[in-house]
Amino acid sequence: MKIAYILGRLLSALPTLLILTFFVFISLHLVPGDVVDIMLGTQNYLSEEQVQDLYKEYGLDQPLIVQYVNWLKKIITFDLGTSLRTGDSVSRIISEKFPVTFELALISLIFSLIIGIPFGMISAVKRNKLPDYTFRVLGLIGLSAPAFWIGAIFIVIISSLFPDYLLFGYVPFSQDPLSNIQVMLIPAITLGLMIAAQVMRMSRNSMLDVLSQDYVKVAKAKGLKNKKVIFKHALRNALVPVVTTAGIQFGYLIGGTILIEKMFALPGMGRHLLQAVTQRDYPVVQGIVTFIGVMIVILNILVDILYSFIDPRIELK
Amino acid sequence: MMSKKLLIIALFVTMFLSIGFAASNDGQLKFGIDTDAEGFDPNQVTSFGSHRVLENIYESLLQYDQDMNLIPSIAESYETPDPYTVIFKIRENVKFHDGTDLTVEDVLYTFNRIMDPDYGSPAASYFSEVESIKELDGKRVEFKLKVPMVNALLLNFAGVNTSIVSKEFVEAGNNMQLKTNGTGPFVMDEYVAGNYITLKKFDDYYVNNVPKLSSIKFLIIPEEVSRIAALRNGDIDLVKVGEPLSLKMLQNKFTIYRQPTLSYYLIGINCDFGPFKNPLVRRALNYAINRENIIKMVSFGEGSVTGVMNPSVKAWAVQPSEFSEFTYNPKKAKELLAEAGYPNGFEFVITTASKYGFDKVAQVIQAQLSMVGIKATIDIVEWGIFIKKWKEIDFNAFVSLNGGSIEPDKQLYRTISTGGSTNKFNYSKAEVDNLLNEGRSAVDTAERKEIYNELQKILIEDSPIIFLYSPNNLFASQENVKDFAPKSNESLTSLKYVYFE
Repeated sequence: MKIAYILGRLLSALPTLLILTFFVFISLHLVPGDVVDIMLGTQNYLSEEQVQDLYKEYGLDQPLIVQYVNWLKKIITFDLGTSLRTGDSVSRIISEKFPVTFELALISLIFSLIIGIPFGMISAVKRNKLPDYTFRVLGLIGLSAPAFWIGAIFIVIISSLFPDYLLFGYVPFSQDPLSNIQVMLIPAITLGLMIAAQVMRMSRNSMLDVLSQDYVKVAKAKGLKNKKVIFKHALRNALVPVVTTAGIQFGYLIGGTILIEKMFALPGMGRHLLQAVTQRDYPVVQGIVTFIGVMIVILNILVDILYSFIDPRIELK
Repeated sequence: MMSKKLLIIALFVTMFLSIGFAASNDGQLKFGIDTDAEGFDPNQVTSFGSHRVLENIYESLLQYDQDMNLIPSIAESYETPDPYTVIFKIRENVKFHDGTDLTVEDVLYTFNRIMDPDYGSPAASYFSEVESIKELDGKRVEFKLKVPMVNALLLNFAGVNTSIVSKEFVEAGNNMQLKTNGTGPFVMDEYVAGNYITLKKFDDYYVNNVPKLSSIKFLIIPEEVSRIAALRNGDIDLVKVGEPLSLKMLQNKFTIYRQPTLSYYLIGINCDFGPFKNPLVRRALNYAINRENIIKMVSFGEGSVTGVMNPSVKAWAVQPSEFSEFTYNPKKAKELLAEAGYPNGFEFVITTASKYGFDKVAQVIQAQLSMVGIKATIDIVEWGIFIKKWKEIDFNAFVSLNGGSIEPDKQLYRTISTGGSTNKFNYSKAEVDNLLNEGRSAVDTAERKEIYNELQKILIEDSPIIFLYSPNNLFASQENVKDFAPKSNESLTSLKYVYFE
């Protein structure tokens, strides 16, 4: 039953993915300046003939629709093509860079949950008292302050106060776990703060909602201690929408790490996507965007399945 | 009890010792750069990032010394018996990184590869006038040209794109974009795209005691703030400084390197646009612009005014001080404008991108021009769009940065000849075309100097290009890094002499 559900969801996501890839394809090709223009820059060292040969080699002399269909034909066989700038296979690029982005997104998410959920819950329980006001103001700052600003502040503070802290020089987890965590920590916190603010608001609202439910009032009336009511009954129910929010946030994180990756020199997928767009490296942009799209679809499916496990009232259709 | 204490002391001592070892650099220089390499085939790639790495792995027939003079490299010596001919004597004890010997065969193979139209080397156009390349007595290679321009051609034998590759290695089917096999002081060790490139010392390099470092790790850190912080943190030993403002964060404790580049900021003018059709108007712009001011405001003083040829190229440059156009004189500007029929100035759009400070240069110019009644609006577009507009001459004027050269023909030919591939100024003058052609075929250096002097005078009078300034190339390092010396063509081949004190 679950399998049928998953397949059904995947199939229904196909038209969306198709529209997404087509839209990205067309926009990138219609923007002035193509991959050859940017390669040559303003130094223009190739003869006109050599330039035309390049266009032919990249298949850019074909009409746009033909190029798109060719790309579709390849992607059906999971062939994402090769980078026009480096000749590297796009799948290899993704397999090398996605783990970095994934790790960053994961640590950011974990951090945001560790901060956001307790703060949100406390806010709800101590509603309209000092802790609530404090956390809500902090949350507003976290939501409004731009990530690059927070990141820059962190860089300056950490490098001044802790000169020996390894801020730059990404090391894979498999090579040196401790250094890896050290390098990922500050960028993850920077990214996590923004998400934490959202998680906090969600937790607060959810908890407030639960606390106003009848069964909570009944539990209190029955004489159960407040703490027990909160931790044993209210919390679990309040967490449900938070879990789904977290799952969806994670999807956005996968696509939204560009700025942080750039600031902290992390060799992730986001930074590479930005570079590819600037260089009009069409196969790379198409490949990464499609990959992110598929990731988000899968994540949404997983979140819905998870949701159905947590809340037995939910039925997957 | 006593032995337990001893154990603890021993533990601490070991810990401190290992920290000491960890802190030592094992002769590896960590170099923070801003752009990644894009491919490693030396005869093919043009990316700046690739060149900075490849110039330490591969070598060409000639190279530049610190003063940008051409000196022997793979070629032990060379002679130019007549203006159509150059003969190189190939050095004998040079080895490729895979252990094989370099022979005349490899040199011939390399140039055939470069000139092969199916291969598409960016250097091919420089050798379009080569009639024949042949080997003489097994040790020398002779190039014969169709036209007498050997002097203008020589500098093309230096530089990454004419690096000598191994015939055997290429014919064995190795993917030159991914695998390297050069003759240079360093060997490619590891490449993790977007992250770092490590080179290690080539033990069989033909020069003794070179290189001094055991390895170099190029760390790719595109963001300026992050790169500078990495140096201050001690995470890296040497860094490329992109913004002069960053120098303020690097006082004391760090060595600063500044080297004027050959590149130059310019205002490119579309000579077909309204007021710019009149050369008097274009000339007037020179007087209305205060170049020293731009250098101060945009590059914090890290730059020097430049003319048609870079002033440091003493062999060819007519110094800017010899032209009144390089002295700020708004009164003279207004006079010229009035003479041209624009006593109340005019309006135009400066097209530019927000790279390398172009937009900042444009802003200063906008302010300066308004003082003589010229109203300039700035249109900042994305880099790809800027290139497109530049290509199609879809602008009134643009601000950009051009690469420069020590050779006047290379600096000027394509840029100001009628229909030249980088002549995006709608500029065409028969006299200029004639001088350009004479200059490249003249043999006698004194004769060439006269020709290019004349050319520079005409260009300043006509001003299809307003030459602004050359920025300084900036680097910073920890104090224990010694003998690093960037060159004005931005080459980093001094890395082979660098050592830690």
